[in-house]
Amino acid sequence: MLTIHVKTRLCDVFFRLPMTPFRISALLIMAAATLVGAPADPAPLPLSLSNAEISRRFQERREDLIRSAIANLNPADLSKGSFLDVTAALQRGERPADALARLARLNEPAPTGNMFWVYPMAALLATAGDRLDAASQARIAELWRTYWPSRGDTENHWMLYYSGLYIAAQSRPGTGPEQWFNGRSAEENMAEARGYIEHWMRVTTAHGQGEYDSPNYIGEYVAPLSLLAGWAADPAFRLKARMMLDYVLYDYAIEQLNGQYAGAHSRVYPRQVLQPGRVTSSSIGWLAFGLGDRQPGAQALLLALSGYTPPPIIERIARAADRPYVNRELKRTRWRMRNAGPDAIRVGDRQTVPVYKYSYVDRDFILGSSQGGLLQPIQQQTWNLRWRVDQPLDASNTFFAVQPYSSPHEGTMFFGEAWDTVTDLIVRSKADYDSPDKLASGSPHEQVFQHGAALIGLYDLPPGTRFPHIITLFSRDLRNVVEDASGWIFAQGGPVYIAYRPLAPGEWKPNDWTGHLAGGAGGFISAGFKEWGTGHRCYVSGAPRNGYVVQVAPVRDFASYAAFQDAIRVLPLRTAVAPVAEVVFTSLDGSVLHAKYGATPAINGLPVDYGSWPLFESPSGSSARGSRKLDLRHGPERYQLDFESGTITQTVATP
Amino acid sequence: MKSSARILATFLAATLTAAAGSPPMDFYAAVAMTKAQKNSSTPTDSGLYRREADGRWVHFGPRILGIGSVAAQPGHPAVLLIASADGVVRSTDAGRTWRKTTGWEVLDVRSIAFDPLNPLQVYAATQWGPIRSDDAGANWTPAHAGLAKLYSQTVIADRTRSGRVLIGTEDGIYESADAARTWTRVATSPATTVLRLAQSGANGQLLLAGTQHRGAWLSRDGGLTWQQTDPASATANLYAAALNPHDAAVMAVGGWNAGVRVSNDGGATWTDRTAGLPVKHIFVLAFDPVTPGRLWASTFEEGTFYSDDLGRTWHEGGLYGAYGFDYIFIPAP
Repeated sequence: MLTIHVKTRLCDVFFRLPMTPFRISALLIMAAATLVGAPADPAPLPLSLSNAEISRRFQERREDLIRSAIANLNPADLSKGSFLDVTAALQRGERPADALARLARLNEPAPTGNMFWVYPMAALLATAGDRLDAASQARIAELWRTYWPSRGDTENHWMLYYSGLYIAAQSRPGTGPEQWFNGRSAEENMAEARGYIEHWMRVTTAHGQGEYDSPNYIGEYVAPLSLLAGWAADPAFRLKARMMLDYVLYDYAIEQLNGQYAGAHSRVYPRQVLQPGRVTSSSIGWLAFGLGDRQPGAQALLLALSGYTPPPIIERIARAADRPYVNRELKRTRWRMRNAGPDAIRVGDRQTVPVYKYSYVDRDFILGSSQGGLLQPIQQQTWNLRWRVDQPLDASNTFFAVQPYSSPHEGTMFFGEAWDTVTDLIVRSKADYDSPDKLASGSPHEQVFQHGAALIGLYDLPPGTRFPHIITLFSRDLRNVVEDASGWIFAQGGPVYIAYRPLAPGEWKPNDWTGHLAGGAGGFISAGFKEWGTGHRCYVSGAPRNGYVVQVAPVRDFASYAAFQDAIRVLPLRTAVAPVAEVVFTSLDGSVLHAKYGATPAINGLPVDYGSWPLFESPSGSSARGSRKLDLRHGPERYQLDFESGTITQTVATP
Repeated sequence: MKSSARILATFLAATLTAAAGSPPMDFYAAVAMTKAQKNSSTPTDSGLYRREADGRWVHFGPRILGIGSVAAQPGHPAVLLIASADGVVRSTDAGRTWRKTTGWEVLDVRSIAFDPLNPLQVYAATQWGPIRSDDAGANWTPAHAGLAKLYSQTVIADRTRSGRVLIGTEDGIYESADAARTWTRVATSPATTVLRLAQSGANGQLLLAGTQHRGAWLSRDGGLTWQQTDPASATANLYAAALNPHDAAVMAVGGWNAGVRVSNDGGATWTDRTAGLPVKHIFVLAFDPVTPGRLWASTFEEGTFYSDDLGRTWHEGGLYGAYGFDYIFIPAP
């Protein structure tokens, strides 16, 4: 933990000071404090959030990552070290022979990584192109001519591909069509790449990000933007990339808990569902803001190499003490190719559906959600609760429900494969997609509604539903799970009390993925599942019309667990499952929440106004739909990003 | 489908040169090698394969993911256009060099059709809407006007009337009489995704369509009106449709769990000719323009097969493990 780290360093300095009267007095005070029963681990010194200190700490972490990357190179074992490790060494001018030897190995035989080869190769060229030996230069030139890297089929793929193509083409000025795999000159490739990247920026800042808030794929946006922010020669384009990095990092900072990305996610892998701290977003959060535990990562390394420095206001927001707050965000689904549905809207010639995100951000927990439905083809997490833990890396501090859904209808909505092959082909890389036990899924039969720290999920499973059940995960980190006679199930997750009320009864089942994964299918989840995939319990209900109410509250608000339970039991609650699932619930904050499947939910009798949902809205930031602006606030500070004009405005109000 | 249009165009070209002897034809398959794809979202190989005289299949052209087809300019077979996930890729020297001729906006191109009567005019079906080129594929422009839904994966250029195009969309078949500048829905076409369109090389008024969930559809008036055919496959997903360029009465359809179904009486009756194939999942069918009566079939991951007796017996044709998207016959340059 960084806080402890700083404290330790100060103590070290203190004890190295000469023995002066001041020091003696201080030592006596410290000893006395210990003797009179003060906490054995005294409160950590407050972390300075001055610009200078934020910058200094960032540079320390940055240096740490780069140094460890260079250390990955091993001249005795040329199978070790990535393209970016090589780049780090060459950028620093350290161990160039080791780096070049490893580079030669990496590019033989011909690459297969497509866009995952393009972007680190571009970083290498931009950073250290002039430090390559003749053999490396010749091999790289040959590969750009002969190897056709696919640009992939997701927005993150395209950002990686086009940012890499842009920087690579910039690094090889004047090269003609015959020197490029696609028969286009360097200048043509730069123009095409910039066209897409600026399009993505326009759509994202006006309609929301498509692969929104993904603990995994945030890295695939940070990496390309780092590439451009670090090395785009055009200052206006470079500035836009830096602004988009600010945008993406703020998007993370406003919805994280000690570095853990929380709230509804567009895409998350099974292991990341159960160990939400062991994700790419955590490695980026640690580097950018010092949040959570140190985790190396390729995308964080590229951010470190780029020279980009996050604006200090984002760390101040990330560490803000004025929680709780509500954060609303507008995102969009992945582009829908077909089966777009009546709720689809057009953005140019593409179709999408707005995603309405809502998160209640407390200092001890985050409860966040989207409205449900098919918002992503795979890996969607519609809602989750995350509570604060001091060591987030291996914690399973998560609580959520899911209706496991898969279908050719969903697959062909987003992928170009045929109706009869799409599910099979998805499963070849996402093994859990067609599993009744899967823990991340969108569902067309699900509607979720949240207000404050209360959430209602409703389901209507038609006959023939492939996996006709709802799973609610009670992770192994939950304590004191109680099935109450009132129908509520109570649990405690660290500093948070949870009350869960199913509308229809279910049964407890172990969550054991061992059998499911025994075949080893799925590159991301083929190993280690015994460590993270077992020890949890699921509450599974097969009722076709069903739902639940979730109310959470910080432990600090109640005298005891029993007091919390008493408070929940007396809350007015009316539920029905016919003709459709319906709930009227008065939450702990006194709001009357009314949700009926198929209808717009209401708060205190007023329907939720989805039409005016903002791109961002919280005490720390706001952005109107379509505005292409983001306005950040912290105390008297304002930091305004205007993507229309390509400008940043920073002001500090004077009293 | 469009492969039929190309077969037709190339067949006509072949006929014109018949006096000089049988023209050499190249036979290509657009495939993805998915059988061995494990723990990966990408196939182990993909692209165009050309069948050599000894029966071997040899990779041809750039290795790009998601190649759906290839087309040659009528009269100029050295001009080739590849339909790929990355866009349209063009060669003007019979495949020695290639150039992507679409920008970032164009993706997931599934089929390409030259106008046989105006070889500069080209149409491409993409899964995000059709595009058009007026200069043999050197430049492209969107061609969406009038389409209710943009998804398309099959297009044919009417060989009997220049500038007339038929495209299969998510909303049935659409027709354009002005070279894809505007589109009108063909009222009698099924309101479902059209997976494959084909025009007869023997009778230009005869067209065949394979659809999603709605089986096979036949038009005998050049695509103005359509009727469902083959009741036995009426709800099947039919990915393959082919018409014999040597005999207008002979046609075939194939699909998922539908096997190969053939008719030799102009669609009046149909017969299951799946026996002898390893699976009943068919994605491509084509009648060989060089060997009259030969029918080629691409199964899902179990290989390519051919039959010289309209499916009564089948012979292995290679490409084991392939997920086929198209067969294309092109005059050798």
